[in-house]
Amino acid sequence: MLRLLLSTALAAGLATGLAAQEITVGAANVSSYLDPGRDHSNVGSQFYYNSFDTLIDRNHDTLEADWQPALATEWKLVDPKTMELKLREGVTFHNGEPMTADDVVFSLNRMYQATFPPYVVRSRDRLGNFVKAEKIDDLTVRISVEKEEPLWNTLLNLQQVMIIPEDYTKGLTGDPKVAEDDDFEAFSLAPVGTGPYRVAEFIPGERLVWERFDNFWGEKAPLARATVQQIPETASRVTALKTGEADIITNIAPDHLAMIEADQNLRTVGSATPLFHVMIMNANHPKLQDPRIRQAMSLAIDRDTLNEALWLGKAVVPSTHTYKEFGALYMPELTTFEYNPEKAKKLLTEAGYDGFEITFDTHPTYYTNGLLAAQAITEMWKEVGINGRVNIAEKWSGGSPDLMARNWSNPMYFADPFGSFGVMWAPNGPSEGEGRFNTDEEYAAIWERFRFSKDVEARKAAYAELMERIKQDPPVLPLYRPFESWAMRKDVSWAPKPGHIPYVLDFRAGSISFASN
Amino acid sequence: MLSYALRTLTRMALTFFAIVTIVFFATRLSGDAIDYVVGEGITSEDRALLIEYYDLDKPLFSQYLAFLHAFTDGQFGLSFIERRPVSEIVVERLWPSAQLLLPAMALTLLVSIPLGIAAAIWRKSWVGSAVMAVAFLGYAVPNFVLAIVMMLVFSYWLNWLPVVGNGTALHFIMPTVAMAGVLIAALTRFTRNAMLDVLGQDFMRTARAKGLPEARVIVKHGLRNAGITILSVIGLQVAGLAAAGSVVIESIFAWPGIGDLLVSSALRRDYPVLQFGVLTVALAVIVINAAVDLAYAWADPRLRHTVKA
Repeated sequence: MLRLLLSTALAAGLATGLAAQEITVGAANVSSYLDPGRDHSNVGSQFYYNSFDTLIDRNHDTLEADWQPALATEWKLVDPKTMELKLREGVTFHNGEPMTADDVVFSLNRMYQATFPPYVVRSRDRLGNFVKAEKIDDLTVRISVEKEEPLWNTLLNLQQVMIIPEDYTKGLTGDPKVAEDDDFEAFSLAPVGTGPYRVAEFIPGERLVWERFDNFWGEKAPLARATVQQIPETASRVTALKTGEADIITNIAPDHLAMIEADQNLRTVGSATPLFHVMIMNANHPKLQDPRIRQAMSLAIDRDTLNEALWLGKAVVPSTHTYKEFGALYMPELTTFEYNPEKAKKLLTEAGYDGFEITFDTHPTYYTNGLLAAQAITEMWKEVGINGRVNIAEKWSGGSPDLMARNWSNPMYFADPFGSFGVMWAPNGPSEGEGRFNTDEEYAAIWERFRFSKDVEARKAAYAELMERIKQDPPVLPLYRPFESWAMRKDVSWAPKPGHIPYVLDFRAGSISFASN
Repeated sequence: MLSYALRTLTRMALTFFAIVTIVFFATRLSGDAIDYVVGEGITSEDRALLIEYYDLDKPLFSQYLAFLHAFTDGQFGLSFIERRPVSEIVVERLWPSAQLLLPAMALTLLVSIPLGIAAAIWRKSWVGSAVMAVAFLGYAVPNFVLAIVMMLVFSYWLNWLPVVGNGTALHFIMPTVAMAGVLIAALTRFTRNAMLDVLGQDFMRTARAKGLPEARVIVKHGLRNAGITILSVIGLQVAGLAAAGSVVIESIFAWPGIGDLLVSSALRRDYPVLQFGVLTVALAVIVINAAVDLAYAWADPRLRHTVKA
């Protein structure tokens, strides 16, 4: 008992004299595994950037793509379909092994020529054009593609192609010369990269501890240690921040913001996350095959009111499927989606809508404000004469032939229209694969121009054509970019950076500091 | 006594088998693991690939047989999400749960038995009414409300107690009290009722008539007889309440125990972990019940003799 009391006193003493170089993050979720290659979840993307590097990085302070050398120092096309990259010298993995061309080739080909099923899936939806990586010499690699690739830098900057060590990974289980599925499974519980923080402790779904990696090739990490502790309950997270058990907390719902801001020792930061909450509609449901019905379902929804009521006006309602993060390809001038109840009524009459019931499926809690939005949407439908009903179910119904409408999200997996709309609504992509969206040869031809044209204007023109197709025969309505908030002690200076994908906890040099320093 | 023990053990085994079966099918009714493990919005081709990789393509009954078979290798299968043996994941969580449960049970016994006795003896005075009023209130307040109110007062306002995890002795206070709250309320009422039944018995009057001091009458003759009822209540009701309580309390206080694991694996549809976790809790409750059953027989000679006859 005495020991217990002493250790308590010691812990309390440490907490008050907290060195500014150590922080604790109270996160709503900590991943169950950590492998940048297989993961594209919102929970996972919080964690990779501190521990792993890509060949090409970007300046995360700007929305415009500003590519920076990372594990590659130079890169150039040696022919239209082959890129040659010079690797940085003197890069070391967290386990002490030097990084060589072999590691890079291994990391890339585990995705480009994937055999491990979770990699196969991630690779197919975004890396399908990449054929292989080859070693030229110890510090030179070449990457080849099937069709000329306009998005080289973007697709070499993906989380999925972060670099991991070959020998370490292969040696985790079974034959140390062969990459088995179990090696990749084991890697995801004991991840090793080249980034400024090494993963010192990882308890799946509970805690992740980063320690500064002294042999990092770039600027030294500002924190000696950062602990991410899973605290699932919002009330507990907020209380932990207040008691000083956490220095930063994640995923604060809009209705908690005022309570935190009332405390003068705390502050919040937030941003409209580059992710759309969307409504999807089943173009192949027998009763919804007439596009006019789906147009009316979309035109009846007053998204600005949803934003005001559910997000205190802090979410962002788009006019088309676009994000300002796309830089040159940001196209707010398109009006693909709008609120026009009169037009909705007219279209319903023209289509001979007879008042049949249209269900809107939603999970009870999965999306913040998802259920409330579903209820508001069916009320808005009622205004134009649509007989809507909210159907609450835990099960994902997006692949069911009975689906009429439901909520979903389309994250921006990377900053290009291909990284959001493109992944989900490609010909033979997930939406078509689930049987609720149809494409034809014409759509596929436009998509090909959008995906592979080298000229930005040609890509924009093709994207505008795709949006027009979506407008005429709508399978989706982006509702808004939800507003996501973090809260922290007032002296902690951290904010999500505009050049990142959603939710990244970037603690690299220049990304976090303390007022007292 | 031996045949009574055997019967108890057989019943335990059958109960366990029934639970194994119910847990297997009930978890699968709660939603489709495929959506969570595989992720939504992927092509049907990719979906098929992952379904096969995670062995979710087998018919339900052969999954059930595989599940039963998994008991034989001592690992109980692999987690869908973490891909490591389920037994390893669950065992890590047992000790933290026990660390919370044991002090909560001790606190429950220490508080509710004296309170229950007091409420029985002074049932007609304000003492009895006050104890019972508090006990009813305690029983009516759900443990998560108690937990959050305590958190608000002692952490958010006063900043006396930490809320996350089990790092120090101070971390134990709120979760233990929140766990014990409803248990104390329940056991106080049972203790009072059991004592009331006993207090009016003839042997109590006899004991008093022999001139024994009142305290001795109550403890030696009263409590020992009421104890049999109290014991069975602890086994049947309190153990169940404690198991349910740990699910809620551990989530709120980010306590790395088995209750927290059950919640997160249910949300992620990690069936192998969920199943084994539920089984572990069920097994714990069964063992406690059986232990109480046996203790009951030992404490009550009448039962022993009836069984023998």
